[in-house]
This record gives sequence, C-alpha cells and structure tokens, in this order.
Amino acid sequence: MKTIYLALKYLAILLWTSFVALPFLWALTTSFKTANGVTGGATYIPWLQYKPSLEGWKVLVRTGGQGIDIVGPYISSAIVTLSASFLSLALGTLAAYGLSRFSYRLGFLKNSDITFFFISQRIMPPIVLAIPFFLMLQFLGLLDTIPGLILVYIALLLPIATWVMVDFFNNIPRQVDEMAMIDGCNPIGAFVRVILPNSLPGIAVAGLFCIIFGWNDFFFAFTLTFTKTQLLPVAVVALNSSVTPWWSLSASALVSVAPLVIIAFFVERFLSSGKMAGAIR
Amino acid sequence: MATIELSRIAHTYEPDSDEPVYALKELNLVWNDGGTYALLGPSGCGKTTMLNIISGLIRPSRGNVLFDGVDFTDLPTSKRNIAQVFQFPVIYTLMTVEENLEFPLVCRRMPKKERSRRVREVAELLNLRDKLKRPARKLAPDDKQMISLGRGLVRNDVSALLMDEPLTVIDPQLKFEIRRKLKQINEHYGLTMVYVTHDQNEAMTFADTIVVMNDGEVIQAGTPQELYNRPETTYVGYFIGSPAMNLIDSRYVDGRLETAGGSLPVPEGVSIPPDVQTLQVGIRPKYVRFTDATTPETLSGQVNMVQELGNSRVVTVEINGEKIRMKLSPDTTIPEREVRLSLPEEHICLYADGVLLCRDEDNVCLSVPHQPGSEAEPMG
Ligand SMILES: Nc1ncnc2c1ncn2[C@@H]1O[C@H](COP(=O)(O)OP(=O)(O)OP(=O)(O)O)[C@@H](O)[C@H]1O
Ligand SMILES: [Mg+2]
Repeated sequence: MKTIYLALKYLAILLWTSFVALPFLWALTTSFKTANGVTGGATYIPWLQYKPSLEGWKVLVRTGGQGIDIVGPYISSAIVTLSASFLSLALGTLAAYGLSRFSYRLGFLKNSDITFFFISQRIMPPIVLAIPFFLMLQFLGLLDTIPGLILVYIALLLPIATWVMVDFFNNIPRQVDEMAMIDGCNPIGAFVRVILPNSLPGIAVAGLFCIIFGWNDFFFAFTLTFTKTQLLPVAVVALNSSVTPWWSLSASALVSVAPLVIIAFFVERFLSSGKMAGAIR
Repeated sequence: MATIELSRIAHTYEPDSDEPVYALKELNLVWNDGGTYALLGPSGCGKTTMLNIISGLIRPSRGNVLFDGVDFTDLPTSKRNIAQVFQFPVIYTLMTVEENLEFPLVCRRMPKKERSRRVREVAELLNLRDKLKRPARKLAPDDKQMISLGRGLVRNDVSALLMDEPLTVIDPQLKFEIRRKLKQINEHYGLTMVYVTHDQNEAMTFADTIVVMNDGEVIQAGTPQELYNRPETTYVGYFIGSPAMNLIDSRYVDGRLETAGGSLPVPEGVSIPPDVQTLQVGIRPKYVRFTDATTPETLSGQVNMVQELGNSRVVTVEINGEKIRMKLSPDTTIPEREVRLSLPEEHICLYADGVLLCRDEDNVCLSVPHQPGSEAEPMG
C-alpha cells in the first residue's frame, strides 16, 4: 500500500517536473544551435544530433557598437525593476500597515474599500493605461527614460505590494503592536522595532511578486520607450529580424529567467523555514 | 505609584452609529494605590475594554482617566506607567527570552548594566533563569506567558499591572503558584494589580477588592466577604459563591414575608418601601439549616437531591416547587423526605426588583460602585 502510494507520488512529481522543465531544456539545446540545427526537424542532443555552436550566446557580450546585444537592456531592466520594487515595497508596506491597523474614512469608503481600490488598479487592461501614462510622461519630459519607467512601474507594483502586505499585517495580531506600545514604543517604534522584523517573510513574498511583474513587463516597456532606453523584454523581441534567431532568443530567454529563478529559490527557502506562520503564540 | 481614577468613563466601539451600543456605560471607579483587584464578569461585559482604557490602548468615548488626580486621558500608552498582560502570551518571536525581557528597558534607554541586573532578577522570580538565551518562540505557552508578565515586572516605573485573564494558557497547579507569586510581588513592590477573570474562585483568592461587572456596568465593588455576605443585587448573589445564593420569591403581607413553604419574619432593621409587595429572600446555601422546630420562622419541604462534593455535600430541598440549596458538612445526617429549614434572620438579604434593601447597620449599600475614598456617584 505504502509503496504504491510512494510510486504514485513520485510518478506525479516526475510528470510535473518534466512539464515544467522540458521547455527550459528545449530552450537550452536550441540556444546552442545554428540555423541548420533549427530548421532540420526536432533534434535534442548536441554533438550526436547537431553541431553545437555559441552563436546564440553572442547576444550576451557587448560587441562594441556592432551587432545586437542585450547587456545594456539587461542592466536597464535591473535598475528599473529593482528601484521600482524597492520603492513600491517601502511605500506599500507603510500604506498596508496603516490600512491594517487604523480606521480610515473617505466619505462612505472604509479601509476594506480603500484596499480594494488599490488592487482594482490591476484589474484594468494595461492598454487602458497606456495613453494616460504616455501623456503624463510626456508632460514630465520623462518619456523614453529610466526614471519615467520607474515611476510607471511603481504605479503598477504598489497595488500588489500593498495588497500582499495588508493581508500579511492582518494576520499579525494587534496585541503585538499593543504590547510594544505598553513596553514603551510609540506607534512608529512599534512598527519599526517589532512588526517590521516579523514581516520579513511577507516583504519577501511581496518583493518577489514585484520583481516578477516588473521584470517581465513588456507592454509599458514597449509603449513608453523609443530608442534611448530599452528594457530586456523589448530587447529580446527586437532580436527578431527577417530570420527568427531561435538560438539567440533561447539564450536570452534563459538569462532573463535566471535571476527570477534564483530569487524564487531563496524566497522559497525563507518561507518554508516556518517563519511565515505564527508571529506570536 | 498612583491611584487610578476613572471619571465618568463611557465607551462605544461604534461612535458614528446613530444608536451606538456602549461596551462600557458611564461609570466612576477608583483603583487605589497598591490594591489587588479582580474584575469579574461574563464574556463581553467590557472587562478588556476597561483595561485598555486604563492603559491607553483605547481612548474612551467619554470621560477622563486620572492618575493621582492628573488627567492622563490623552497620554499615549507608551508614556503611562502601566504594564499589561493579555489573555494569550505575546512574545517577540525573533528575540531570545532575555531580549524579550529587556525590550521595555531598551525602549526606555536604560543603561546596559542596569538592564541585565533587572532582567536577571525578574528571570529568577519567574523561573526563566536557565532559559534566558533560548529563542522565545521555542518556549511552552506557560513560559511565554511568564515572559509577557516579566516584561511588565522588569520596568521600574510601573505603578499598575493589568492582567487580562492571564492564566488561561497555564495548567491548574501552576496557576495557584503564579497567583501566590503575584500576591508576593504586590506586597513587595506595592504594585496595584487588576486581574480580569471570569472564575470567581480565582477572583476570591487573589483580590482584596472584587469588581463585578455585567453588560458594561459595574454592579458591585467590594471585598470578597462583602460580596459574599451582602450582594447588592441578585445578580451578584447569583454570580458569586458556589452554589449560588438561594433566591426565594415572597410576598410582603401583614408585616411578614409569605413564601411557598411558609412565612418568614422581616429581618430586623430592614425597612420595606411602602409600594413594594414582591420581594426575593436571598440566603447563602451554607446558612440554611435543618431544624426540628415547627415555629413560624421555618419552611417545610422535601429533600430532592443530595450531591457529594467531597469536603461538603449540597442538598436540594424542594418547597412547593421552589428549590433551596444547602451546603452542609459531609457528616451531617440528612433527614428522610419531609424536612423543616431554618433561615437565620441575620443572614437573609432582601431584594426588591433585584436590588438589596439595606439594613440599618449596613454602612455599604447601593452606592454602586462603592470605593473607599472615591467620590463615586450612583450611576445615572
Ligand atoms: N475592537 C472592537 N470592535 C467592536 N466591538 C468590540 C471590540 N472589542 C470589544 N467589542 C465589544 O465590546 C463589548 C465588550 O468587549 P470586551 O472585550 O471588553 O469584553 P470582555 O469582558 O473582555 O469579554 P471576554 O471575557 O470575552 O474577554 C463586547 O460586546 C464586544 O463585542
Ligand atoms: Mg476580554
């Protein structure tokens, strides 16, 4: 009985693993192919089935003005994503703490409505926002610049950060704050000294979401930039020419995904160590 | 050290509502410096609300909180000299036991040396000495609660310790031990202690003064003896004492109290208001006795049930449909069926509309809440 259960369990895990991993493996082999390797039907094993080449990976090195590379966009993307995520997290955490602990009234709107208002910003299809964002950035003279993109990304990420953190703070009993105040902290002290350190798991999750959404966004990176500034997703697409360079696309896809995988790996470690549950008791 | 006074305090959690429900109805109450108080009442009667008002976690909707006569109503919690322990332990999970205990002192910027000395002292007192370096979250619930308590005790500025059912998570043998320790601390440091519970035995053994609350109101405040012998309302009589006070319906006819099982004389010194006809005769089970006499001062009935409680036995006697309980020593012989009961006059409390009718010699009566030295007014 137990062995059957174990066997089924491993079978399920195996199926799921291949489901998740195979596209990556495919991208991996493809990144070492040349035009010949790609066009002649599906092949998988280097040396045996096709002749590996480093052509695809050339996009990763600056070719000194000549050719296309994704190094510059990679750095720009990192700057935009990290700055926007950091600022969204900072603002979102503060907003969320307020929404979780104090009662606000805005006409007939209460805390829960305000929280919903935040997240409702993400319900709109991005296209609706494209024109307003474009006009606003134009007004500020920030079109096609990194600061402009950071601003827009904050607008996109802040709702996510706030939403995740409100939920997290709601799960930390109020008594913890109250205790801290009895112990002699003012409300801000209670937040900084007691609640914030206990919130690292929540912040990690919110941060992960921010980074994923920020890093992967194509639409705004595409509509709000022209020539001076280019973010990674746009640059990868720009690799396309009359002949689709499957090898470079695969290589770029892999390096684009890499940082997210690494971050997710660490955040997952952090969460599964049991720190997420039970701020008290 | 301070005397804490609640002056015309009232609180509602829904101030914007047209007809707000008051969790605390207007009340005056004084907590004397160095006293031990138990706050007793059913769930939802406003005990926690009252503590939170004292510690400043809640700002009362109306009224003032005075510490030694100074208005502290708007002073933030962190500036008040109040320590509070909640029903469930609150510990700072990322800190060790030592850091937890030290935290209030760190907040107050006490020098390191002084801090360690005080932490060691308190850890000794609470049996946490050998756990100081362990992560607080790894401790058992009762030790965690000791940490919560310890954070109140390390401070040198605390004048009152408020405890909100602090021993819920602690097993019974330890409860006794901890209550005893709290008493010692009270005597040693002169700390005012307010202890919320809905266990009357806990209240009786711990406190000098018991404050009984119901539905947002203070019903009676007094020593355990006062509450036991002279409950000012039938509610207190019913709530305090086990088994509860007997309450026998009676009618006031021709200067005597007619009950189902016979008539009783009106206790000496009690004057019955002219328009009152129905009264309740209250008497504690331990004062009711079997008697052979058939004088008019006795009631007749049948033994209905006997419960053995080990150190006592509780006998239920039925008199024409009404049940009277008696608490007797276990070696009392219980007569077969037909019995006569004597209700000693000096132990009878008479209630009209649930409120005690005073005797001439009662110096405490109906000044709810009664507090020595307070300018308490009757509640409106
Ligand atoms: N934060 C709150 N918001 C709204 N109503 C509340 C809040 N806290 C308490 N109440 C209400 O106020 C009343 C008194 O509550 P309180 O917590 O003071 O009672 P309690 O005597 O401490 O009860 P318990 O013995 O269950 O702890 C209750 O009716 C409760 O529902
Ligand atoms: Mg309570």
